[in-house]
Amino acid sequence: MLLAASTGEDLLRAVLQGAPPGSVYALIALGFVLTYKTSGVFNLAFGAQAYVSAAMYFQARNEWEWQVVPALILAVFILAPLIGLVLERLIFRHLSNSSAVAKLVIAIGLTVALPSLFELVTGFSAVAGRTPTGIIPGGSSVFYDPFGIYPLSRDELAQMAVALFGMAALGALFRFSSLGLALRAVVESPRMTELSGINADRVSAFAWALSSLFAGMAGVLIAPRFNTLMAPDFFHLVIVAIAAAAIGRLASLPRALLGGLGLGIFIALFNTFLPRWTADHGWLRPFQENLTPSMPFVILFGVLVCWPAIRREHRVVDPLSGVDPPPPGLAALTRNRRLTLITRVFSVSLLCVIGVTVLLRADVRWLFLVTQAVILAIIYLSITVVTGFAGQISLCQGAFAAVGAFTVFQLADRYDLSVLAAALVGAALAAVVGAVLSLPVLRLGGVWLAIATLAFAFFFDAVMVKFSWIGGGGTSLFQGTRVPRPTIGPWDFADDRLFLVLAVVAFTVVSFLVIQLREGTTGRMLHALRGSEMAAESIGISPVRARVTAFAVSAAIAGFGGALLAIHQENVNYQNNFSPTAALFWLVLVVSLSARTIEGAAYSGAAFSLFDSLVLRGEVFRWIFRGWVPGILPISPKWRFVLFGLASIQFSRHPEGLVEYGKRRATRRFNERFDRRERDRASQETSP
Amino acid sequence: MNVLLDAVGITKSFSGIRALDDVTLRVVEGERVGLIGPNGAGKTTLFNCILGTLRPDSGSVILNGVDLGSLPVHRRARMGMGRTFQRIELFSDTSVAEHLLIAERVRQGNGALWKDLLGRGRPTSDEIRRCAEVLDLLGLTDLAEEPIETLSLGQGRLVEVGRALVTGPRLLLLDEPSSGLDRAETDALAATLAEIQREKGFAVLLVEHDVELVAAFTDRTYVLDFGRLIANGPTKEMMADADVRRAYLGDLEVGR
Ligand SMILES: Nc1ncnc2c1ncn2[C@@H]1O[C@H](COP(=O)(O)OP(=O)(O)O)[C@@H](O)[C@H]1O
Ligand SMILES: [Mg+2]
Repeated sequence: MLLAASTGEDLLRAVLQGAPPGSVYALIALGFVLTYKTSGVFNLAFGAQAYVSAAMYFQARNEWEWQVVPALILAVFILAPLIGLVLERLIFRHLSNSSAVAKLVIAIGLTVALPSLFELVTGFSAVAGRTPTGIIPGGSSVFYDPFGIYPLSRDELAQMAVALFGMAALGALFRFSSLGLALRAVVESPRMTELSGINADRVSAFAWALSSLFAGMAGVLIAPRFNTLMAPDFFHLVIVAIAAAAIGRLASLPRALLGGLGLGIFIALFNTFLPRWTADHGWLRPFQENLTPSMPFVILFGVLVCWPAIRREHRVVDPLSGVDPPPPGLAALTRNRRLTLITRVFSVSLLCVIGVTVLLRADVRWLFLVTQAVILAIIYLSITVVTGFAGQISLCQGAFAAVGAFTVFQLADRYDLSVLAAALVGAALAAVVGAVLSLPVLRLGGVWLAIATLAFAFFFDAVMVKFSWIGGGGTSLFQGTRVPRPTIGPWDFADDRLFLVLAVVAFTVVSFLVIQLREGTTGRMLHALRGSEMAAESIGISPVRARVTAFAVSAAIAGFGGALLAIHQENVNYQNNFSPTAALFWLVLVVSLSARTIEGAAYSGAAFSLFDSLVLRGEVFRWIFRGWVPGILPISPKWRFVLFGLASIQFSRHPEGLVEYGKRRATRRFNERFDRRERDRASQETSP
Repeated sequence: MNVLLDAVGITKSFSGIRALDDVTLRVVEGERVGLIGPNGAGKTTLFNCILGTLRPDSGSVILNGVDLGSLPVHRRARMGMGRTFQRIELFSDTSVAEHLLIAERVRQGNGALWKDLLGRGRPTSDEIRRCAEVLDLLGLTDLAEEPIETLSLGQGRLVEVGRALVTGPRLLLLDEPSSGLDRAETDALAATLAEIQREKGFAVLLVEHDVELVAAFTDRTYVLDFGRLIANGPTKEMMADADVRRAYLGDLEVGR
């Protein structure tokens, strides 16, 4: 009897504990469904928008010492919808014909760009230990305990009250205002609205403003739960909201709402009961300790992989319905032989000059940066394979790279294995992880695949890294994850110059393999699948096999590059190098520059590592103009995130990337001029 | 005579709309069979069910005595079924020859990853020769190196046919090969198809809107209307049948 009573109490406690965050998740989930249904955008950037509103509120309250109401009005009712409107007007409105994946890439770019942009504009910066305050005085110190089971703080009550109010307002809007009615019609049946002449532009703008307001509200409400205001925490928020929205297949508002609430309560239940089980089963304890903070990702991954409704099913589209348009075809281009030769010779000589200069003249810092650029370029080749060749957006390349890096650390630390051999083992392990992960994930396809890999990346980050047999556990806190440099015969790669040579050799070898892959059967199969999956299958190509291969190869490359990065820095430096948000930026960078070519990967490596020093700090001007640097420089390294994040916007029009686009355009111009000259010459010869 | 394909009692609904209702169809080795019916009758859906792109709600597809069950599309393709598409499906950013070369490589079934990485994955001279033969058959030799984006619709159709032919099909399913082509192009395509079919001896299941093409090319025809088979028999008789004319020509009048 006693047991039953206490279990009932626990259940009620979990419900009370889970309902407040659950209602905040529900708010964002509603916004998610609204924007997805009205504009087809899977807006990951809601996390960033929630952060911006929370930070604005914090800034106004704590720095400018405003009252609650004006601060709230500024952060939630002005700034948040304004951002939504600007995004809709300037970006997403013009993308109604782009594929869902292209829109997702842009949303990821915005996720990277928005927080930095906000911080640059307002000068806001997170202060460790200054906990954000809620919207009610004494929010985290005054408690109410209606049932004598779980004391609800004022903040928690406010979260529920505001969320409830928001939903009620949305309901009223749907019922009583004409714009709301139109919005609801669009959400429930986009095809109907095309036929019935609702002004889709206005509806979409309205949906963006409204859902951004919800996101901003959610950000301000949830902020007191975090010790310090930092953008990645808000990204977690959006992950749960996605899981909630996924439960309703992104199509149903009530289900998204229930999903959000349910997930909040589920997480609380889990946190209540898992410790009990683990008390009885000691071996479960490490899981429990690590799983609790990462529940959102486990849930999202679980929902995506197990929820049958989400599986890839739209492969055969109704001929009468609107379909995802095919990706824009690249203009056919035959390159002039002489031009190819000239550019090859030129770029090889330029590379040699740079290489020799770096080897002879560079100081320790520049050697470090250039080597890092080369190694990152290797990692980026993994994105070339999975995104450029196979056309899949993978957001867990950081986890694959970390597998390689940790393998080197573990094997060198425990068994004193040569680090280069360990790097190869790491690559193989990463390949296995990639292949195993790809099997459930590939069934999803498109946007969902990207989200599932994102969930995996965060799961790896929150759970796996904490295990001592991966991340070193407690010992790594004291000793770091040290990795030695290798020696081969007479060469000791502790020498930075020699190590740079090693990195360049490794990049060359991996590039060579990637080119072989592209020209070989696998690459051509992937190319066919990207062109038309239906047609590729109809000639006997197995999409699953080709894509699993691509994932495994890509993971191996990332693992190898990650291992090299650890060897170079003589430390894994997981947080700096491989965290999921770092990997988001990788994708944005490579996709904006060029995900299809080796050069693209090389440029991206350089951009990641050198852009800050060369451009933002103005070193390149200093060299060229002998010490003169433009007055506005140096500027904050955060501009890197802003610039490349925003650059991803062009992905929808030029999926081949800026580098490749520029090259093609230049070639076309050259060809035209060349042809004209030939024609002129021909006409001159015939005229006399 | 050897039965090649047996589709038995195929039924398929899309959210309440019955696109196919208990359709049974048989193709014999080397036979040329037509499948006609007005727009939206379910012809493409039937193709998709036979090829595994769609899973029928009930009914089974038997190829050469083997029940295909829930085999995926690519396995069915390797068992000897090739197809073309109503809305043309080509691999963008690729040359004509490459379309056939990749099909040839898949047919041989040797695409191991290690071969790619060792640089042995490029087309062999043998493959190039075989593909050149098919290109020659279709009269596409001059276009071999052209990027697919520069082709006309008619040429694109031929590339689709060539790509399917390279896989060595015993049954070729053609989905409205004449759509988007003018009269002359259609006649040329029909002549080419007939010649190749005679030479190679595979069976053809032809979905077509163009009555002349069906009459000229097929021996036997099935007529589909609103997802139900309303008639089947020798093509000549079908063309004369009053019910068929009502279902079919009625649609044509609306269409024109
Ligand atoms: N994937 C699909 N989803 C929903 N309805 C479909 C789908 N494919 C076909 N249909 C419907 O099935 C019917 C038959 O279509 P289809 O097979 O394309 O006809 P046909 O090829 O004879 O013109 C049409 O009403 C069409 O709208
Ligand atoms: Mg059709």
